[in-house]
Amino acid sequence: MKEKILNILGELRQYAINKGISAAFFYHEEDSYLMRFANSAISLNTNEHLVRLEITTYDGRKRAEYQMITDLNQVEQMKAGIDTAAEMMKHTQPLSYDPTIPLYTETYADESSYDQALAQLSNEEKLAYFNQAAEGLETGEITLSGIFSSGTNITAQINTRSEHTQYFKSSDAQVNLVLSHGAQKWEILAEQSAQQKADLDPAAVHSELAFLSHVYTTTVPQQIPVGTYDIVLGSAAIGDLLDLMNWIGFSGGMMKRGFSFTTQEQVGKPVFSEKFTLVDDPTRRETFPYKRDVSGIERKPFPLFTRGVFDGYTWVQDDADEYGAQPTGHTVMHKSLVLHCGDQPVDSLEALVSMPREKDLLYIPYLHYMNIVNPSRGLITGSSRFGALLLKKDGSVAVPFNVRLTQSLLDIFGEKLQWLSSTEKIANTSMSYGARNPKAIVLPAFIRVNGLEISHSNSAF
Amino acid sequence: MINELKQQIERLRNAGATYVDARWYPLEESSDLTMWNGNLKNATASRESGVGVRVLYKGAWGFSASSDISQLAGLFDKAFDNARVAAERVTFPVRLAEKDAIQASFTSPNEIDPFTVELSEKVDFLKEMDSLMNQSGVVQRASGMTFMKKQIIFVDSEGSEIEKKIIEVFPAIQVMGVDAQGVTHTRKYQPGRIGATRGWETMDRKLFTDNAARIVKELNEVLVAEDCPRDTRSVILLPGIMFLQTHETIGHALELDRILGYELAYAGGSFVRLEDFGKLQYGSSKLTARADATLPNTPGSFGYDDDGIPAQNNLLIDKGLLVGAITGRQMVEEANAKARKPIFNGSGGANRATSFYRVPIERMTNINIDFGTDGTLDDIVKNTEKGVILDGEKSWSIGSNREQFHFATDIGWVVEDGEVKHVVKNATYRGETVKFYNSLTAVGDESTWEVQYVDNCGKGQPNQVMQLGHGVPVCRFDNVTIGE
Repeated sequence: MKEKILNILGELRQYAINKGISAAFFYHEEDSYLMRFANSAISLNTNEHLVRLEITTYDGRKRAEYQMITDLNQVEQMKAGIDTAAEMMKHTQPLSYDPTIPLYTETYADESSYDQALAQLSNEEKLAYFNQAAEGLETGEITLSGIFSSGTNITAQINTRSEHTQYFKSSDAQVNLVLSHGAQKWEILAEQSAQQKADLDPAAVHSELAFLSHVYTTTVPQQIPVGTYDIVLGSAAIGDLLDLMNWIGFSGGMMKRGFSFTTQEQVGKPVFSEKFTLVDDPTRRETFPYKRDVSGIERKPFPLFTRGVFDGYTWVQDDADEYGAQPTGHTVMHKSLVLHCGDQPVDSLEALVSMPREKDLLYIPYLHYMNIVNPSRGLITGSSRFGALLLKKDGSVAVPFNVRLTQSLLDIFGEKLQWLSSTEKIANTSMSYGARNPKAIVLPAFIRVNGLEISHSNSAF
Repeated sequence: MINELKQQIERLRNAGATYVDARWYPLEESSDLTMWNGNLKNATASRESGVGVRVLYKGAWGFSASSDISQLAGLFDKAFDNARVAAERVTFPVRLAEKDAIQASFTSPNEIDPFTVELSEKVDFLKEMDSLMNQSGVVQRASGMTFMKKQIIFVDSEGSEIEKKIIEVFPAIQVMGVDAQGVTHTRKYQPGRIGATRGWETMDRKLFTDNAARIVKELNEVLVAEDCPRDTRSVILLPGIMFLQTHETIGHALELDRILGYELAYAGGSFVRLEDFGKLQYGSSKLTARADATLPNTPGSFGYDDDGIPAQNNLLIDKGLLVGAITGRQMVEEANAKARKPIFNGSGGANRATSFYRVPIERMTNINIDFGTDGTLDDIVKNTEKGVILDGEKSWSIGSNREQFHFATDIGWVVEDGEVKHVVKNATYRGETVKFYNSLTAVGDESTWEVQYVDNCGKGQPNQVMQLGHGVPVCRFDNVTIGE
């Protein structure tokens, strides 16, 4: 299949050259499988095999793009797409800058993130995983929801500047299981991310769910007062916060357009706590990394914040072209974010609950429906969900109804950051919008942030 | 092709499938243009085609889709295999509400097919808007237009055959500026329904010119405004934010699949329970809401849903009382069975898929609030002692059961003693859904009612982005927390 894809891309390149068209081709192929559970049943079992082709044509400062969902037998249709993009380009207007067509100096292929065993996992194996992970935890009132999303992702590129190609193939799985109570409406969650079949561990998911389920079924939920709390965030919440930071924190283009809480003047200066070190590290296989970006730049670990100091912005090629910056190898479908762990020895939720504590701690594993209230201030809002706990200083544990947190990332990861756990976790932050794009963040299992304000507290789930 | 689809459907029926349908997209085209500070950053056209197959077997769904239609039999087999495995874990076997077999077609109204308009004319329009917005105080300006055109052919094992041809137009302009504190502010204009059709004629130069001037003026007012106070007071929501309030806390809350727990693994559930229908006072007596897919000329009116059910106009909330939901064939059967009484009388015709490669799920149609009798915006302001008028969605966040929310808006105008006093920036408000709608004390008349479009409503796994509409008037809610 790889040869067929690259041959077709080569044929398209030659077609463009023969017509005197400068063009770049981005190929995306996904073989996606999703088993969805609801009300303890498989509510949907689906698969999609889709081939996408993006054709960008250039004429000096003019640029146009034609995209198609097609299949590999439709080469003539693809060639017609080149003609369409070229025709469109005549009617566009020049940019104020020179857009770069990448120059690939060698042919590159990376299939190291592909595990055939994971990619070809059968329906029966997925169902068996779910059955094991939820074994004994469902009742008439407590039902199982969740997804087992898995698949293969292929991207490939070529352009008219050279005959060299880039080719990437990866496998991935994102699993989440939710137990929810029909009448009380509480929900608890356990998640797992896999790049290879060996990463799948239904027993670990079962253990997490069993612990939370025990707490939730033996504790009467309560409304907690609004006010200031010391909060421990779980890996899913941390991952989503870092995903937002990726958007409004260190993107050069977003900064230039006024949608960032950092400024150029802050490069080299402390922005966050000394405990905060964030790297884009494509050497971590768990992040489904791209080791070269679409511009052909080799991707190496790229420091973003080191001990709280802002190391600098990431620049995608087009923003770099527009704003006169150097591209940093970040013209990729996703980065490979790694938040360094700290030294707090807490490796599981059970361990967190058992830790001695000098005051009440609010544990929030997940922040639901987060949004950016004010990008310039890093202000975000979201609600707790999926298994929050109030860990009381007397050692007891209460179940709080969901609460709302409206807070700045500058506070969460700034001086209020108390500790990061020494145990690492993987937060799979893939979305199933549009083209398959598996991504995950490596991060501490827990972080503690002191003195965050809860602005709203539910009176029920 | 249609005959081949029918043959495959028949083949699976003979093999034991309870129900089979196929949606064939011969061609879906889109065009997306974005100009940013005078640069045509994006000039993209796209096409896609393919088939999605849905199979019901022993009470479980299987679905498969492909852009390669040369292997139709294999595609149908894959969907059937997926259903067979799903049938191994069934707790409530899927049943579909009765429907008539329909042979019909639907075409969305448009005068000028935007795909017949030269690209250069579209670019000229954007350049003109960009130039109009290039004013003092504006540091970033963006304008864009998205066009979609799709043909959908639906056939099922119950004898339905429906063809839909739909054109959508979603233009927008926006300006951004930075205040003295370094905070970026935005004002934007996204026209909703502005005529009887929605083709290229939507791109009304005068309308856009007038609104470009308005948003530049309002942005400059925001840039020098004081912060929205932290307070509790009345909020007067203009359609530019009321549509989103309706979307998040009525629309999503009343999707029947969500109520029945089918979205719990992702975007969450609903505070609404089956026993609430006919009993829950969702809002004050001034609140009447409906799911109206018969409203002419909006993305929420599509003729027939992807179950093959004709468009309907269904009450959701009648003078404050919860009476209905957004429904499709499967969920009404399950809800009635679980409630042990007939809450829903057949499908509400709201099962839709975003593309051939996604399965249909309950989606909003036009979730509208009826206009009221409390007069114009000026009348409502005159009758407000202490409030703030809010407009423009900036951010939105809702609780996992749609029970509470937090919204930020682009602009606010403080109202004191029946008069608009001054503009405020960084305005936010939050509330609890039922309490909030029960504090609805004024609903504007027809002059305040606008149909706003939504082009990016996300739901489901795999995720689907859907287009729909909201017809909403100006509404006033009392005792609302603002400025947090």
